[in-house]
Amino acid sequence: MARFALDRAVTAVLTLLGVLALVFGLVTAAPGDAAAVAARAAGNRAVAISPEALAAFRHLYGLDRPVAERLLTWGWRALRLDFGRSLVDGQPVTARVARALPATLALNAAALLVACLIGVPLGIAAARRPGGRLDRISGFVCDAFFATPTFVLGLVLLLVFSGWLRVTPLFADTESGVRGFLLPVTTLSLASLALVARFVRVCVAAALADPAALAGRARGERPSEEIRRAVRRSAASFAAMGAVLVPSLVSGSILVERVFSLPGAGGLLAEAVFARDLPTVLALTWCSAIVVVAASFAGDVVAAAFDPRIAREGAAAEPGAAA
Amino acid sequence: MTAARAALRRAAIAFAMFPLIALLAPVVARERPWISGPGGETIVSAPVPFDPDAVDLDRRLASPGWRHLLGTDELGRDVLSRVLHGTRLSVAAGLLASALALGLGAALGTLAGWAGGRTDRAVLLLLQIVQALPALVLVIAGAAFLKPSFLVASLLIALTGWTDAARLVRAGTQRLRNEAFVDAARAAGASNARLLLVHVLPHALPPALATLPYVLGSAVLTEAGLSFLGLGAPPPAASWGRALAEARDLLPGAWWCVLPPAFALFLLVWTARRLGDAFLGRRGDVQSRLA
Repeated sequence: MARFALDRAVTAVLTLLGVLALVFGLVTAAPGDAAAVAARAAGNRAVAISPEALAAFRHLYGLDRPVAERLLTWGWRALRLDFGRSLVDGQPVTARVARALPATLALNAAALLVACLIGVPLGIAAARRPGGRLDRISGFVCDAFFATPTFVLGLVLLLVFSGWLRVTPLFADTESGVRGFLLPVTTLSLASLALVARFVRVCVAAALADPAALAGRARGERPSEEIRRAVRRSAASFAAMGAVLVPSLVSGSILVERVFSLPGAGGLLAEAVFARDLPTVLALTWCSAIVVVAASFAGDVVAAAFDPRIAREGAAAEPGAAA
Repeated sequence: MTAARAALRRAAIAFAMFPLIALLAPVVARERPWISGPGGETIVSAPVPFDPDAVDLDRRLASPGWRHLLGTDELGRDVLSRVLHGTRLSVAAGLLASALALGLGAALGTLAGWAGGRTDRAVLLLLQIVQALPALVLVIAGAAFLKPSFLVASLLIALTGWTDAARLVRAGTQRLRNEAFVDAARAAGASNARLLLVHVLPHALPPALATLPYVLGSAVLTEAGLSFLGLGAPPPAASWGRALAEARDLLPGAWWCVLPPAFALFLLVWTARRLGDAFLGRRGDVQSRLA
């Protein structure tokens, strides 16, 4: 078990280092001169910027040094969560990200909570009678929500509840408080809820159909006990769901923040992209990669804790993972 | 079996409506009449007689009516015409991105499965790195430093969407590598390229092909998301994602600008997923219906 966790941790760190190199390479190789863009954004557009000023700017931000050296210095700083200063306003990137992050984290955590609190019971209830009425109706509704683009759903909810019924604010600013979060959380959670419900349903239905369930029934287990054991047997599969849910939540929240004008990390990313603010884009990309890799690592370890076979076979099946 | 076949047929027909609409849009929705008289007067007009980009400032934000069936937007452009023309962009981006993703995934998957060893480990690591970034984040980060365009968006989406195909093809190739018929072909002197193209890929590719509708669905979604953020194909191209972004700023008014592109996007993704479900025979087969 400990060996398995260590194995996975090494893979996670390797992956993160790879992400660092990939993103940095992507950004460095792409056209567009950050210095020129930043100088234009900071100063008067009409005034021509002298080449000396540009050179001084590049020197100030270390843009004139070799790529490999920049990657190493930047990577080392990124590991300590130091991303330098923003090219837009000269503030430390970490401070800007830290200001935007709480809203995004609250949104994602609330959506994840809602998705699990409703999705898991719904999935279990649907699994009790595969092909029954509840199973068919919830399956259809979940399919529909799963196919609905998050931001389209958000727009329609916004139109209905803020435009027609006027029960929620049109913009989720800091002033609108908890009421402003109502629609964004609903929007973001519905797609995940559909995924959770369908996934749990498949796992539990499979566990209810396997010989262990038949043995329990033969022993005279009550239906509630039978369900409880089936859920326990499929717990390892639930844990693996985290690795799927978290990336889709992160992607979704970027668009949901734009739909509801929520001032969070997604908005900051879009803003940084338009301003070609390299340090901020890299910092946010790095943050999202950390969250996703951490979720997938946690999911693997929890799954192995529930089902020791995963630790044994997983370690045996992927000897290259630790190399 | 026949029920599954019928379901597949229904799903395929439903999905095929979208490429059909995309092809017909320039004919159905255009200002130039179908048949005009010698003096240029209209004899038979197109069913939707408005160009998607035709600005009419006298009729801004007209609500749905006989003249404009789905109303007009902020610039007086016909919403129905723009939604019909927007189909072209979404379908083209979806097809191009998913085809590229499949090609890239098949190439890397075959390489990893066939070569094994260090190459295999390198491809697996690359796969993990790409999966460690939420697709939209990676696409946005890439779009930030390239000029937004249809081609850039499709390429970036393909660069994030190849992982599933690669996994499936890699597994298939590994399984087939030591099959007797492959050994026989090798003993007969077949080259590596021939072994792969004639003996391995025809068996390793179908599972990945079956996931194509799903990849297409999520490619359409990502493209719409990019356009929504202003990073997709630049104006004035009619795009559902950008139409929705423009409509967002008009709320709480102008519901007719929100619902048509929203519904169109939903339907395209839904029918694509349905086609994927039908391919895998998931309907009615409770056991294999994994989310």
